[in-house]
Amino acid sequence: MISHDELLDNVAAYALGVLPPDEAAAVQRHLQTCEECRAEYNLLRPAVTAVAYSAEACTDAASGGTVASPLLKARIMKQVRAEAARQTRPRVAWPAYLFAAACLALAIITGLQDLSLNDRLSRDRVQAAQQAQMIADMMAPDSKRMPFKHGEVLMRGQRLYIAMHDMPMPPRGKVYQAWTLAKGTKRVAPSLTFMPGSNGMTIVRLPDATTTLAAVAVSIEPEGGSQQPTSKPIAMVAL
Amino acid sequence: MEDASRLMERVCARDAAAFEVLYDEYHRLVYGLALRVLSDPGAAEDVTQAVFLKIWDSPELFRGGNFGAWIARVARNRAFDVVRSRAVRGEGDVPDSLPVEDALEDTAIANVDAERVRDAIAQLPREQREPIELGFFGGATQQEIARQTGLPLGTVKTRIRMGLRKLRNALEGVVTV
Repeated sequence: MISHDELLDNVAAYALGVLPPDEAAAVQRHLQTCEECRAEYNLLRPAVTAVAYSAEACTDAASGGTVASPLLKARIMKQVRAEAARQTRPRVAWPAYLFAAACLALAIITGLQDLSLNDRLSRDRVQAAQQAQMIADMMAPDSKRMPFKHGEVLMRGQRLYIAMHDMPMPPRGKVYQAWTLAKGTKRVAPSLTFMPGSNGMTIVRLPDATTTLAAVAVSIEPEGGSQQPTSKPIAMVAL
Repeated sequence: MEDASRLMERVCARDAAAFEVLYDEYHRLVYGLALRVLSDPGAAEDVTQAVFLKIWDSPELFRGGNFGAWIARVARNRAFDVVRSRAVRGEGDVPDSLPVEDALEDTAIANVDAERVRDAIAQLPREQREPIELGFFGGATQQEIARQTGLPLGTVKTRIRMGLRKLRNALEGVVTV
């Protein structure tokens, strides 16, 4: 069992990144609950960043500094620009989202023909109205769109959607889960879980937020969803 | 320069121009760090390319906070990956157990002037500077630093802590909390 004094001694080594994994994990856990050690960590961490910056390559060759070749930037930017050009397709892909949404609405409307029970009819009317609302929001020029790699977060008024394309099926026993981060808070709140459609696309309308949201995220979680993310988000979008 | 967090939001939206601004601002840090760890310009360029393409490919990995501190951590980890793979191929030595990086939020550091930082580090007493640089750039854990220098582990811990505190004080005004 490591004493508190030993843990405090290890905080500097932890901030510098020179602890083996087991000791680093112990310090990391301790920092979650110990204000004294956290204050020490916060004090020292910028010094560690400064150590990293001390290695920054000099631009002045006369001072003996070594710089990366300009060809390196050319190589990287060539690849990035090519991918950016390919990935601007989500804007072109919007009709595909709309097509998916429209198909769903059509299925509901078509389904109505076979229904006779009033309660089911009423429920499906609500669903159909929601689909119509969704399509209208998707097409509205005043909708705020925030793209990410595999889709967009779309906001119109209080209504918030996550539209995704080219989604791989999550591993067996896992689902996609949305998260929301309320402004002024540091912990995300769990929202809906969902799966991609057979075409790898999905549109999810999140429940109307009761507070102003700062961000929306998506991660892969066990079936049934989690209370806190258990994996790194595959998307995080500031609103 | 536009705030790095804002630029990263634009990168998330697949904005190549924002990415280029980030590259121009931070490639010297990434390359310099990799070069310091690897002592090999070609390998340092490979690390720089891998780090920036990873940022382009997965910008959501940056979850806010201080971008410079974050990208420095990514670059250092990547450079140590190369050290490990070299060791596996028998091309070099690797410490027994490489240190791990923390995942906590970084305190802000503003207007970093590498020259000023280098001066501040040079001003540290040698016995404090050496274990810091041996650990940070050499990938040695504090136990390995103790073995390499022949010092008791407690002494190494104290020197690292004192050195970082002294550096922190020397950088007052550059660093904001």
